[in-house]
Amino acid sequence: MTPVLEVENLSFAYDHRAPVLAGVSFAVQSGECVGIVGANGAGKSTLLWCLLGLLKARGTVRWFGREQGRAEAGRIGVVFQNPEDQLFMPEVLEDVALGLINRGGEPAAARRQALAALQEAGLAEAAARPATQLSLGERKRAAIAAALALAPDLLLLDEPTAELDPRSVRQLAGLLAGLSMARLIASHHLEFLGRLCSRLLVLSQGRLMAQGPAAEILADAALLECAGLV
Amino acid sequence: MRRLIPILVFAAALALMQWAGGLPVTTLPLTTLAVCVVTLTLARLLRWEGWVFRVRPGSRRYSALLFALFVRHFAGILGTETRRVLIARRLAAPRTLGAGGARSLLFALAALFGRALTRAERFYAAQSLGGMTD
Repeated sequence: MTPVLEVENLSFAYDHRAPVLAGVSFAVQSGECVGIVGANGAGKSTLLWCLLGLLKARGTVRWFGREQGRAEAGRIGVVFQNPEDQLFMPEVLEDVALGLINRGGEPAAARRQALAALQEAGLAEAAARPATQLSLGERKRAAIAAALALAPDLLLLDEPTAELDPRSVRQLAGLLAGLSMARLIASHHLEFLGRLCSRLLVLSQGRLMAQGPAAEILADAALLECAGLV
Repeated sequence: MRRLIPILVFAAALALMQWAGGLPVTTLPLTTLAVCVVTLTLARLLRWEGWVFRVRPGSRRYSALLFALFVRHFAGILGTETRRVLIARRLAAPRTLGAGGARSLLFALAALFGRALTRAERFYAAQSLGGMTD
């Protein structure tokens, strides 16, 4: 079966400085939940930006078996670290529906799908409120709802637990655990990733130090120490 | 009106940078200010809820409304970032007057531009991936 994402020998450097990513290779299978784990500055977010074509990297990125410079937008949902980068409409419902409408969706159908996505994210009651009136945890879930509304085959999340309190982390983990599409999550929250991911990729100074089953990686104290994660 | 202060600071800093860099001072700072004043005034006077379901996607009105919402959103971001930068400056530099005060203000303005640029870049990336540029 063709992986939803294949990355071969991906490298990236800003200007002429030291490489931020060096020879990164991995694949994500359909329905799989994979975590990219690494300390601050390890290159996790840069890797996601390179995958999405927002930064121009060397190497090969194949989405759904096809090589492209830019992510195949309709099939990939992205949740950025800061939900304010995604939510700006007068109501959360409109934020969630906007992607559907921009892709040619009929407004009434977009409204229905957006409401369903908000329901899935446990935010149906917040549909008529602006994102600025929601808590950070709710805003993160609203951003996920906006991605889910597009029914993606792969969901990319950049530091989804950043600045969240323990209860919001639990709610977020519950929401993400219930999804069936492939998920690629960049984070340094080991407990969160351990709860969700079947496989982890350990990134350190732009290099893939290790990859394997989450339980094995998380049990390897020496590896975590070396990667600056404990 | 308080929401316009960060825009005013931003526009003034923009003009200052053009002048200090030996470039001709263009009308860009004034245009920025005018667009923000008009948009923020309209945002106060009109109801914006639900328009995305009523206006034909791709039409001029749709683009104009989206543009107005971008400006409103970015004015909010600029306000937040300005507050953060000025609080950080107040904590780090006890003297707000004199040479030290002026230098810390210049650093704060430079930081504001850097942060505003990063936020704008992320916002653009998020919106283009959300189908805005399709």
